[in-house]
Amino acid sequence: MKGKDLINIGIFSAIYFAILFVVAMLGFIPIFLPLLAVIVPIIGGIPFMLFLTKVRKFGMIWIMSIVMGLLMLLTGMSWPPLAVSVVSGLLAELVYKSGNYQRASKAVLTNGVFSLWVAANYLPLFFAAEAYWASRQNFGQAYIDTVTKLMPTWMCPVMFAVAFVCGILGGLLGKSLMKKHFEKAGIA
Amino acid sequence: MAGLFSADIENRGLILDPRTKLFVMLTLVIFALGGTGSGFAAVRCGTIVISVLPVVLLVTAKQYRKAAFCGGAYALIKAAEILLAPNVNGVLSSLLGMCCMIFVRLMPGLIMGAYTLSATTVSEFIAAMHRMHIPQQITIPMSVMFRFFPTVLEEISAINTAMKMRDIQIGGKHAGKIIEYRLVPLMVCTVNIGSELSAAALTRGLGTKVRRTNICKIGFHVQDVVVLILTAALYGLWLLGICEVIE
Repeated sequence: MKGKDLINIGIFSAIYFAILFVVAMLGFIPIFLPLLAVIVPIIGGIPFMLFLTKVRKFGMIWIMSIVMGLLMLLTGMSWPPLAVSVVSGLLAELVYKSGNYQRASKAVLTNGVFSLWVAANYLPLFFAAEAYWASRQNFGQAYIDTVTKLMPTWMCPVMFAVAFVCGILGGLLGKSLMKKHFEKAGIA
Repeated sequence: MAGLFSADIENRGLILDPRTKLFVMLTLVIFALGGTGSGFAAVRCGTIVISVLPVVLLVTAKQYRKAAFCGGAYALIKAAEILLAPNVNGVLSSLLGMCCMIFVRLMPGLIMGAYTLSATTVSEFIAAMHRMHIPQQITIPMSVMFRFFPTVLEEISAINTAMKMRDIQIGGKHAGKIIEYRLVPLMVCTVNIGSELSAAALTRGLGTKVRRTNICKIGFHVQDVVVLILTAALYGLWLLGICEVIE
């Protein structure tokens, strides 16, 4: 991997993160918070598919994934996104590598796997919930039950599945836009 | 909110080492968000103290407006959690409870993130990453990304304005085209700017094998020691709790 590849990773991370940043502003409206796992992979699919056309060497997708995890840590979204992004980034890398860094169908799948880290942002909310309620027993058990019912633990794998499926949708969207615009413009 | 690591070098009050900020961030994530050791009363009080710390840090960095806004929002959520949530009934109570539960835990980390990003320069951050022996493969993309991020946001807002003129906006006549008509121009222009940037960066020797030097001085000072001791004390309390010295 040369300097130019590393700079490319930085450029596309910036685009991806800027889009994420704009979308995440919606997350401050509580109803939209779970929807981030839907919106981010779909919209992020467009820059990511363009990024994949620049990927020719092993490690580029993996590094971008790690950079995303680090950014989540820096902006205060805890460490699980970083832990997941290290693994899912490597998996995404392997998926795209199996298509020789060329196959369009593999690229769509790669976006699905890459998007898994978005769902990992919710992990601390699920797994530390008990510790939270343990220190707030005075709120009353009935109250605690109604709130926990809104965030059952089985939602957690569902979030990952949603992120994956939306990642694939985003990949398809990105692919069609690539054909329509970027290839013609000569930047894909 | 626009700038990442866009600290005003001339006038930014107390300077902390980036590694100190990272340590405080990790502590917040472990205790405030993760709820570690919340079985012990002392750790609970300590967690509240540490949760307020980012607001104090914002004040020391002369970011008064941001400090007031973040502090106010946190106080509001915390008050709603303690006073309001257990006392209302029905659907409203569970919705309110969920919001409180999410934001009371997330807020300290988010405020710390806002502080870290607005009170650190890119050079300082890269210097700190070098000292922590993080490989070039990570530091180069990170530094490019921090350099490029404000440009992308600028382009986004310019394209937004242009598309508003053609009524391509939420609630507009052509709302369906919103994604395509905003992202495609964004991609095209940022990729072009990006390739110019990468040429500029290569001429400056980014990505060569040699060890890069950094003009920026970082290190631990008195203020770092104070913050570090304060944060480390929380771990201490937690350990004492586990060893059953305190309740």
